[in-house]
Amino acid sequence: MRPLDEQETTQVFEKLHKFVGNNLKNIVENPSHEGPDNSPGRYCFRLQKNRVYYVSESLVKRATNIKRDNLVSLGTQLGKFTKGGKFHLTVQSLGLLAENAKHKVWLKPTSEMSFLYGNNVLKGGVGRITESISEHDGVVVYSMSDVPLGFGVAAKSTQDCRKMDPNGIVVLHQADIGEYLRMEDDL
Amino acid sequence: MGKKMGKKRQKIVLPPELPPEIPDEAVEVSDEDVQFVSENQEYTGFMSNLDTKTINKQVTRVADVKEDELESLYERRLKKKALDKETEKQGLEVDPVDALPVKTLDGKLHYRTVPKATQKSENEDKDEDNTNNKDAGTDASVVKRTKAEKRAQLKKMRKEAKKHSKEVAAVEDVEQIPHAEVLDEVRKDMTAEEANEKKKFRLAELGTALLTDPELNIKSLKEMLEISKDGDRDIVVLALKSLLAVFRDIIPGYRIRLPTEKEQEMKVSKAVKKMRFYESTLLSAYKAYIQKLIAIEKQDVYKRVAVRCICTLLEAVPHFNLRENLLAAVIRNISSEDDISRKLCCATVKSLFINEGKHGGEATVEAVQMIADLAKAHDCQLHPDSIEVFMSLTFDEDLGKHEAQDASSKFKSKNAKRKNLKEQKVLAANERKRTRKEMMSKTLEEVTAELKAASLATDVTERRRMQTDVLSAVFETYFRVLKHALKPRSEAGSSPELAGSHPLLTPCLNGIGKFCQLIDLDFMSDLMNFLRKLARSGNDSDGSSKDVSACLTVSERLQCCIVAFRVMRNNLDALNVDLQDFFIQLYNLIIEYRPGRDNGEILAEALKIMLCDDRQHDMQRAAAFIKRLATFSLYSGSAEAMAALVTLKHLLQKNVKCRNLLENDAGGGSVSGAIAKYQPYATDPNLSGALASVLWELNLLSKHYHPAVSTLASNISMLSTSDNQIHLSNKSPQQAFKELSLEQESFSVKVDPKNSNAKRGKGNASLKHNSMGPDLDLTVQVDENAVKSKLSEHYSLLHDIAENERLRRELAETTLSLNLHEQYKKQRKRRTK
Repeated sequence: MRPLDEQETTQVFEKLHKFVGNNLKNIVENPSHEGPDNSPGRYCFRLQKNRVYYVSESLVKRATNIKRDNLVSLGTQLGKFTKGGKFHLTVQSLGLLAENAKHKVWLKPTSEMSFLYGNNVLKGGVGRITESISEHDGVVVYSMSDVPLGFGVAAKSTQDCRKMDPNGIVVLHQADIGEYLRMEDDL
Repeated sequence: MGKKMGKKRQKIVLPPELPPEIPDEAVEVSDEDVQFVSENQEYTGFMSNLDTKTINKQVTRVADVKEDELESLYERRLKKKALDKETEKQGLEVDPVDALPVKTLDGKLHYRTVPKATQKSENEDKDEDNTNNKDAGTDASVVKRTKAEKRAQLKKMRKEAKKHSKEVAAVEDVEQIPHAEVLDEVRKDMTAEEANEKKKFRLAELGTALLTDPELNIKSLKEMLEISKDGDRDIVVLALKSLLAVFRDIIPGYRIRLPTEKEQEMKVSKAVKKMRFYESTLLSAYKAYIQKLIAIEKQDVYKRVAVRCICTLLEAVPHFNLRENLLAAVIRNISSEDDISRKLCCATVKSLFINEGKHGGEATVEAVQMIADLAKAHDCQLHPDSIEVFMSLTFDEDLGKHEAQDASSKFKSKNAKRKNLKEQKVLAANERKRTRKEMMSKTLEEVTAELKAASLATDVTERRRMQTDVLSAVFETYFRVLKHALKPRSEAGSSPELAGSHPLLTPCLNGIGKFCQLIDLDFMSDLMNFLRKLARSGNDSDGSSKDVSACLTVSERLQCCIVAFRVMRNNLDALNVDLQDFFIQLYNLIIEYRPGRDNGEILAEALKIMLCDDRQHDMQRAAAFIKRLATFSLYSGSAEAMAALVTLKHLLQKNVKCRNLLENDAGGGSVSGAIAKYQPYATDPNLSGALASVLWELNLLSKHYHPAVSTLASNISMLSTSDNQIHLSNKSPQQAFKELSLEQESFSVKVDPKNSNAKRGKGNASLKHNSMGPDLDLTVQVDENAVKSKLSEHYSLLHDIAENERLRRELAETTLSLNLHEQYKKQRKRRTK
């Protein structure tokens, strides 16, 4: 377990920024209230076996007691660095993203299932969409009752979505909560 | 003149006074006569003075001499009659120049004859009053003077006429000389004022004559124009107005096209020639008139008159030639500082927009484009009225459909043709002949049908093209205004006091709201971007946008939000777009709203459109708005509070989960999401964590001084979490606001004197509130006595309490000293023991 270096931090923050925009500040400055200390600590980012975790400071202190090889996981996993050195967000980060999401898409109940099987979001399945999404922005996908289902990348801007036919792709799938079942072993 | 002399001679020959021709020798003088003469020598004095030569002449040619004498006699006696006739004739056809001096002879006479003449010839004017009116009307028809003014004018005219009738009497002897010369001489003699009077009469005459028979009298237009070049202001004004009246009546219902040279060379019938002459004269006079108007419009003295004339002309004959010049002048004045001319111009442009049938829509296109150019040239610093006129534009949305239908039908017919051709090939040779006839008739039908369709289509396409032009110009203006509003102050213009203000923004936003269904989808993103920036412009949280025209008022920013929602609502039924940014703006604007400063109706409208009409909300956002509205209604006036509470109730009814706010126990945990604590200062409703708080405001509000607010507040707090029935309130925030703001004027705080103790605090609060709103001062006065008594009660109570405390303190001190004294005594006793 080690803190992220300069380059890794930029990569992580850039990725997060796509989803949460200026709310990234909230993620970094969020008080943790964990541990016995009276003063609320902060959250920090830690890298462990290529995976990036979002951990409270008090937890980090405790985790130092455990040998690196034996430490399986700590805090909330945000994503992982691939072998090629790229950073990918994983489904565990959904909660954090959903709280601070800037761009949202709400799915009609009929198309929820399709998304949870790992398919892209089509225009016909969109119940509602935030205005001013531009292409390649990170989008969090919700059900109509405001339950976060997953996230992805906008295939088209909101403007272009208007002109699209119902079968056009609005959001490219990146992660969804169905993965907890489908890819139980990989997570 | 010769002709007249002849006439008179014929008449003169008849009279019996002619003495018979007798030779000198034959005259016999009687004795009596001789005697009389000798007796009365003094009487014969005249004999010596006799001009013998003339007498001799007389002797030789008695008849001639007599005739001469007679003529002068007749001249005098018959003058009136003859001139009467002349005027009559002049009314019909004679060049009116000859008639003029007659009127100067006798003012009264003139006044009677002219109306008579017009009456006879016109047969239209019903009574004398009417004609008089018309007479005056040509000078002043447009001014619409009051009757008193008119009468005064008439009196003045008469007086002056009398005055110079004496003068003219002196000149009477010279009357034999042709009228025109007399006219000149008289003119020379007359003072400038009298000349003006004359000109007025002349105008009146010319005007009536023109109206009677424009084709014959078309030339007199030029004379009227001449008069309008006069130096005197009144005359010019009258001339312009009479010309206006004339033009308005005689301008034909079509546009005059002057014949080309080729056409002029061609032989044409007399009637056509006449017509051409008439048209060309009319057109040239009209041109001169308009040039004069436009030239004169720049002078301050004539500005209003000129503008009025231009506007009336444009309104009456928008189809006629030179419309462009008129329109340019009108648009130039559309944002003038002079209220009257600006209103006139605006009304004219509006009527142009509304009565498109008059000019086929071309004038609309031109006007709109000109206004767009004007806005560009003046950098959007115009009067709001100039953009407001766009609101009266109408667009026919069915035009596109027609065209589409035509296109499809055309396509079909083409297909049919192709099919026919194919079939034709297939047909056997022998059958061909038989079918040829059928084919011929069929194609003929088709051709005619197509022709019809084509002619209709061109019409529709033309109109469509014009509409597109109008729309693009309108939106160009709107976008320019929006862009201008976004400009930082430093760039906005040279004059500092103008730079900050955006006079056009409000009408522009209104216009966008009205025409938003016509906006091209490609513009939509730009429009939304502008609106977003504008709505955000006053927000301090964004450092970069702070300096960007922070002067936009809350009302304007609210309006931006409303317009954005309208645009979305009208265009995008297919895709449900969530306007998050605007919700954030509204969330912050609610706090910035100040009851006196900002327009409450706009706020109510924003609440209605953004919160009540929208179908879905995030739970977090809804909770945040509920909390904020409750806070807002605590410190705002009763009307605003009512609007806010109605919205709040609506939100609570729709979002069942948000009713957790009504529970006494602060939520938190999983329900409140990531933010475990309510953060009242958060700018984003999603991050405020409102679900973690309790709506304690409702409890306070249920003790509101206004009964409607308090009942509604207690109603809301009765809503239970389990109660899932949806009975949406039938009142919209706007209605609620209107009702209460109307009521506010008459509403007075009712204070129950009996339980004054319990209500004291509230009474004071309402008093404070009342003193804030200037419109509530009345109620304060009404309640002054009650308040006085209450205050005195309050203070006496306070005084009592203070007194009580003082007494207690004293008592405590004395008991303490007593105790001390006792102890001292005891100790002393002990010591003594």
